[in-house]
Amino acid sequence: MNDQERGTDELNFTRVFDAPRELVFRCMIDPEHLTHFWGPIGVSTPLESILVDARSGGAFEAVMVNDADGSKYPMRAVYDEVDEPERLVWTDPGTGMTTISTFLDLGDARTEVRIRQTKVPEAFRGPGARAGFLSSLDRFATYLGTLTQGSTR
Amino acid sequence: MVVGITAVDDKLDATFTALADPTRRAIVARLAKGDATVNELAAPFAMTLPGISKHLKMLERCGLISRSRHAQFRPCHLEREVLDEAVEWIEESRRIWTERFDRLDAHLRDIQRPSSSRKRGTTHE
Repeated sequence: MNDQERGTDELNFTRVFDAPRELVFRCMIDPEHLTHFWGPIGVSTPLESILVDARSGGAFEAVMVNDADGSKYPMRAVYDEVDEPERLVWTDPGTGMTTISTFLDLGDARTEVRIRQTKVPEAFRGPGARAGFLSSLDRFATYLGTLTQGSTR
Repeated sequence: MVVGITAVDDKLDATFTALADPTRRAIVARLAKGDATVNELAAPFAMTLPGISKHLKMLERCGLISRSRHAQFRPCHLEREVLDEAVEWIEESRRIWTERFDRLDAHLRDIQRPSSSRKRGTTHE
């Protein structure tokens, strides 16, 4: 899991925040913070629905509620690694999707957060097959989007 | 819909598996431009027709492509809806993280605001 492997996963997100690394990391594991931002736009995550047991093997659960119609989207994951304030890994056992968050101290109270999300089907979890599955799927999707849609999405 | 990120089903698994191979991705990209026969699809690859046929069968099994049973040359056709599901799943995840980070950014600004009683850069919960 080194930097060379980046770019071969399905999804990569990077964002720089104007906040010290310790604080950004706390935001990702503290329900009092998570409730403010965990749901995307139009979706709330009530504080009482968030369960965080931030240690390897501990639970990470939350219920996201659609503001418009009240529909609920529960999420349930298990932490694989909690290495404060550098690295956070959890897996959704239902989907086999793993999310790896790394926190880089850029100095000057700025922090870069990298999210890598991998969804690896059962048949492709062997070490050899993995690379093939993951290669550039993210960029491929963007490319196909332009081919099949012909418009901005 | 947020639900897309948690409700990844077997069909989507099969689609991603089919798209795991560069040759199959190239075939799909070619078919996105229009239907093509096996011979036309094989042309850009240093691959035998049976080799290409194996890939086509896999794409057919997961529903990404279909082949006419009647036309003489049985042209391959891309089933865009199946492909769109896979593309949408990826874009959905990307959108969720983008929006989540937009909100985290706003939240961090909020709790670090100099006017609050906390000092900038030393805030801890």
